Amino acid sequence: MSTLEDTQELVGRGNIEGAALFRDWFANLGETAKTGGAAAYVFVMGSTNEILKTFDLPVVFPEITSLQTAVRRVAHELLEEAEDYGYSPDICGYVKADVAVQLRGGDHPMGRLPKPTISVLTNACNTYIKWAEIWERMHGTPMYTIDVPGTRQAGGQTWAGNADFEADRKYVEVQLRELITVCEQVTGKTFDIDKFREVLGHANTMTRCWSRMLELNSARPSVFNALTDGTIYLGVANAFRGTEEGARYFERLVEEMEYKVANGIGQDLEEKYRLLFVGVPCYPIFRRFNELFSEWGGTFVNSTYLWFASGGTNRGFEYDLDNPLASLAEGMLVSVRDAMDSMFHQDTVLEQMITDHEADGVIFHPIKSCRTVSTGLADGRRSLSEKTGTPSLFIESDMMDRRVVSEAQMKNRIDAFFEGLASRRQLAQAGPKD
Amino acid sequence: MTPTTTVTFPEWRDKSLDDALLECRDQVESADFDTVKRWREAGGKVVGHFQVSFPEEIVHAAGMLPFKVRGAPTEPDLADSHFGSYLCSILKTSLELALSDRVQFDMFVSHPICDAARNLAAIWGRNFDYPCQILYLPQNPNSAGSLDYLRHEYDRIRRVVEEVAGREISDDDLATSVAVFNENRRLMRELYDIKREQPWLIAAEDAYALVALAGMIPREEHNELLTTLLPQIRERSAKQEDRIRVVFEGGFCEQPPFDLIRMLGRTCYLVDDDFHIGMRWITSDVDIEGDPLRNLAEAYIERSSYSPVQHDLRKPKEKMLIARINEARADAAILAAAKMCEPGLEEQVTYTHALDDEGIAYFVSEFEENMTSFSQLEMQLETFVENLLFA
Amino acid sequence: MAYAAGVDVGSTQTKAIIINEDAEIVGRALLDTGANVIQAAEDAYAEALAESGISQDEVEYVVGTGYGRYRVTFGNSQVTEISCHGRGAVHLFPNTRTVVDMGGQDTKAISVTADGEITDFCMNDKCAAGTGRFLGAASAALDIPLGDLGPVSLQSTKPIKISTTCTVFAESEVLAWIGKGKKIEDILWGVHKSIASRSAGLMRRVGIEDEITFTGGVSRNEGMVKALEERLEKKLNISEDCHYMGALGAAMFALDNIQAARTPAETGANS
Repeated sequence: MSTLEDTQELVGRGNIEGAALFRDWFANLGETAKTGGAAAYVFVMGSTNEILKTFDLPVVFPEITSLQTAVRRVAHELLEEAEDYGYSPDICGYVKADVAVQLRGGDHPMGRLPKPTISVLTNACNTYIKWAEIWERMHGTPMYTIDVPGTRQAGGQTWAGNADFEADRKYVEVQLRELITVCEQVTGKTFDIDKFREVLGHANTMTRCWSRMLELNSARPSVFNALTDGTIYLGVANAFRGTEEGARYFERLVEEMEYKVANGIGQDLEEKYRLLFVGVPCYPIFRRFNELFSEWGGTFVNSTYLWFASGGTNRGFEYDLDNPLASLAEGMLVSVRDAMDSMFHQDTVLEQMITDHEADGVIFHPIKSCRTVSTGLADGRRSLSEKTGTPSLFIESDMMDRRVVSEAQMKNRIDAFFEGLASRRQLAQAGPKD
Repeated sequence: MTPTTTVTFPEWRDKSLDDALLECRDQVESADFDTVKRWREAGGKVVGHFQVSFPEEIVHAAGMLPFKVRGAPTEPDLADSHFGSYLCSILKTSLELALSDRVQFDMFVSHPICDAARNLAAIWGRNFDYPCQILYLPQNPNSAGSLDYLRHEYDRIRRVVEEVAGREISDDDLATSVAVFNENRRLMRELYDIKREQPWLIAAEDAYALVALAGMIPREEHNELLTTLLPQIRERSAKQEDRIRVVFEGGFCEQPPFDLIRMLGRTCYLVDDDFHIGMRWITSDVDIEGDPLRNLAEAYIERSSYSPVQHDLRKPKEKMLIARINEARADAAILAAAKMCEPGLEEQVTYTHALDDEGIAYFVSEFEENMTSFSQLEMQLETFVENLLFA
Repeated sequence: MAYAAGVDVGSTQTKAIIINEDAEIVGRALLDTGANVIQAAEDAYAEALAESGISQDEVEYVVGTGYGRYRVTFGNSQVTEISCHGRGAVHLFPNTRTVVDMGGQDTKAISVTADGEITDFCMNDKCAAGTGRFLGAASAALDIPLGDLGPVSLQSTKPIKISTTCTVFAESEVLAWIGKGKKIEDILWGVHKSIASRSAGLMRRVGIEDEITFTGGVSRNEGMVKALEERLEKKLNISEDCHYMGALGAAMFALDNIQAARTPAETGANS
């Protein structure tokens, strides 16, 4: 039963606690920078936080620290600095904002970032590799690449037991062992398998909760905004992966969302159109971008961002604690591969998402900065339209560079899209013509 | 006629060296790929492999034609609507070749060299029914697990190729193919020796055409072509001119327009470059004895060139470039990048900083495969060369 | 008799249309937008009223459209020009399924149903290639009035290939071709073909289906009409009123509102 007290206590709790944890994370990084302690630079698709947390290494997610500069509206200054340094206007804005932060000695609008002691990355985005090569040159930071082979052909995923899968798993496992050796060298600590199991256990809880969260948002009305609220949850999911705080946060978040579903408490507006978001958010006008949709009663109920930027944990893969390393290798293969599939083969998974979440429309948001996410969207959209006929909107901008974000141009298209949705609904309600 | 005996490029035969080279240029400059059409008309199958490196021996061993998908100087009329903005041209024109039926394939393979290209197999697969595969070449060749992994990955591709070819590929078939390609690699190295040692003997665009042909005709034919022409090139009586020696860096994927290479060659001696580096990826012979797939994998990891799209801690790209410049005794480097090419543009920054440190002169520019006007570029390049000559 | 009006405030020109209850055009106006957008909207509306000979009181509903639609201060509501061009094109040519609207700043490809419902649309992003602006750059480079570009281009016998897709570089490329001694008509036809190619690419994104209606200011350029028709290998629907299509569509939406207000029971749940 819902009571006023419950509602006041529960609704919105996840956003408040998430923001607080996020600030803590940054404050801790600032402390590390001050004391000159070791820190690992990692990425959202295959962060290997499970291993790094076992070594108590603080983690910096430069994708997240970069996007924060756009949300805080200073990204353009950093982009220009990196461009003066030689980087082209046509490359990833995350990389450029970070290059400028590094050139400023780690000076970031949210505090100081520690220097990278080690960088760990996967091939899930090729720019991760180029990015880590920059730190390697700038600071002499050792880099370790975990090469995670992805899907070889649409629909051709293999699973544990299959010979091809096992060959991939063996490769990933060898690399994880090598990474552990590198971490031992960097930290001077010995790998503690019991602690590792504990970290994996927390990661399992978080994964379980993450999948549950996405599932809960198929409720009518939807209980969280996949674009705005979802980004807060993603911050915690990445920065606190494998930690007790992270696990507790997500258990409480699921509690909040289950309460909202049970009591029919939706987002803070009347939900007229349920939308899916494909791509990376428009951080330079983050809130405004969402308003352009919410003004028409459009709510974001799910997004591919919540899949790939969670490193594919939406897949729900849980580690076998009795067989931790082989299981982590399997989990990385399954999850990181899924993260990649939700970018390269997003049309097939969207079909399911449209059904599960009863979506009225799909918003494709390819961006200049990220070819990993954006290159296949036009073709994926064609294919999705042919198969489902679901209305969709294609708007190009950027997640960092406000020079290519034109709000007026965006609004024009978004308005036209909703005019179309409205007339479609009106015609449907009027029934078939004679 | 069986495909393996098909002559796909007869035009150069029984001609003077100059006329033969003219035929080579015409064939490479055209966006029609007649050699592939002739192969197909004779009943042969074609496996397209996108940039950069691909173990062509596996396709060759199955009796099919490995075709280097490298875009084309054409407009992406049909392909454009399959892509967003902010993308390099080669991605679009490569798909255009397939959509417009200019080149017909039985299989397509790509390696995720960059964030754009890794989407290509999925896009291709949504538009064609034949196998569209990703070959995951190792991006961590420094791991002890990479050799076993790559051997297995080659074997996996072998199985797909066998399905398409409708026949098995034995280890003997593979060993025979490796021998053909070893010969080809040797001839390509000889061509580059001429470029480095006597660049006045061969025009930049002619050397380029000779390399590019390897990707569009059977390797046996290519071996015959080089075996015939290289001695004639060596015997030419051309005189050395007072030109600066440059290394061109930036042709590992999208290719600069033919006229741009011609223009460069008029202005300086192109003594080394990375044009079609994938077809010259392995730098020495691949072992013939033993497990051919392991030998191929070993050569890829241990004896290979470099590019901005392959990560290897043993091969920092800027050090490799400086070595290339020094080995070619070049005076300067041209650092080009295809428009919208993320890895190429990123590497340019590393290159320029390293060359600054070394005190090596360089010229930076961007190109697009289908650009037709170079007047501004030419003027800038000539100024750069004048500065070096009269410094 | 009740009347409905549509005012389309575009980046370069402002258009106004007044229609009667039978959706017949009774007044139209066209003028340069200039710096004062509000004034331009008022002037165009006043001019259309003057041409129709009806008073402002007789117009029951006004819809504003175009990039300056929120500056049509006397308007009752706003609709995007994408919806308006689709609606207007289907009204004028009922079999229209694809609309290509080429204006001063951008090009739009729109696919529509028989009801005028927009099923998909696409615009050129950040870059003006394939738009009227590209023609503007060529006009400036060659010092030929915009209106003469089409007729001159049609005299071409050996078109050259324009490789740049960037308006910023269009001028220098055009000048480079002049430097090489190429004929002006051949360069211009190359420019038209280049724009047609870009626009066709845009149209493919929404799917090209018969019939195609060409709207917007550039639809008056016969060189562009021919270049597009050659490119698409299809005949295009063209009319004098294609230039006014946004305003006409807006007027149609205004008429909807008038009729809906009269028969509230029959309207849907659209809000």
